[in-house]
Amino acid sequence: MPAKSGTSGTRIRISPAARRRAQELGVDPVRLHGTGIEGALTVADVERAAAAPAAPLVRGGFDPAQMRLAIAAAMSRSKREIPHYYLSATIDFGSAAAWLAAYNGGRDPAQRLLPAVLLLKATARALVEVPQLNGFHEGGVFRPGPGVHVGWAIALRGGGLVAPAIHDADRLSLPALMTSLRDLIGRARAGGLRSSELTDPTITVTSLGDRGAESVLGVIYPPQVAIVGFGRVVERPWVIDGAVVPRSLVVATLAADHRSSDGHLGGQLLAAIDRALQSPETL
Amino acid sequence: MNEQAVRRLTAEVLAGIAPEADLATVSDTEDLREALDLDSMDFLNFVIALGEKTGVSVPEADMGRLRTMKGLLAYLSR
Repeated sequence: MPAKSGTSGTRIRISPAARRRAQELGVDPVRLHGTGIEGALTVADVERAAAAPAAPLVRGGFDPAQMRLAIAAAMSRSKREIPHYYLSATIDFGSAAAWLAAYNGGRDPAQRLLPAVLLLKATARALVEVPQLNGFHEGGVFRPGPGVHVGWAIALRGGGLVAPAIHDADRLSLPALMTSLRDLIGRARAGGLRSSELTDPTITVTSLGDRGAESVLGVIYPPQVAIVGFGRVVERPWVIDGAVVPRSLVVATLAADHRSSDGHLGGQLLAAIDRALQSPETL
Repeated sequence: MNEQAVRRLTAEVLAGIAPEADLATVSDTEDLREALDLDSMDFLNFVIALGEKTGVSVPEADMGRLRTMKGLLAYLSR
């Protein structure tokens, strides 16, 4: 929900369809900001409000039913409005894994990094190179994001997920990103996220972690224009200098909005992520 | 630490990470990550918290030994 609430008693302008939708989704129209004619609330405003933080602002936990409705509204809108295209690339994670093992080796558990942090930083860096995928599709045009604010998809216990922003992820060091990630995951699960954290992301990254599937093709969170997915890091045969060797690999995928970019550009983003992961010491 | 203390500590630490998890339903040889649906951040936080309570800094290479109750008992009851 937007943080601002309307003055009680003020008559709100809302279309009958939007009012109906608000009732369906359990959204209180009084608290919303309309984008229609003379500030009238539209169906899109209501769905956006339902899709955004809804339950998350409640301290101490989420309402699973509300969350389901919010996800349903956002994802239905995405599939209805956004012509997705999909790309995937298998990336050699060997150098990154070796660098990570060496980094973590001499450190206390509290100082260690997870592979997710490298994936996050590599993606943020790649977005600086390919800024056309970092931002929003609004009113028929692409609006670049004000920074690389990566929405990190976090699964909640008992179902549902949220993707709050890690602001300026391209400029944070790996330890700082790890701290942000830990803090964000903790607060997401305890229900202590700020509403701005849920509306700020300029792109979403979903990483399935060490027990997840091998790849994930995401659904774009509107009005964002792209979502990057990482499967579980797996050990597989891989060819290096003509020889088959066991190697750590990760499948990176991109789902992007065809209204604002084409597969050629999307391929450049995945290539940039790959490049970044080949030099983990520079991340 | 004796066996009981290790079990109590494990339950206590896990309660902070996966509040709905019921350790009583998990056998000693089951992978806690699977049984309690812990992701890599959860498991790292679990190891950090164990370290804080016991004073044992678990090396990265030993992380795999803490995935089951049996492994925890072997590792911590020394």
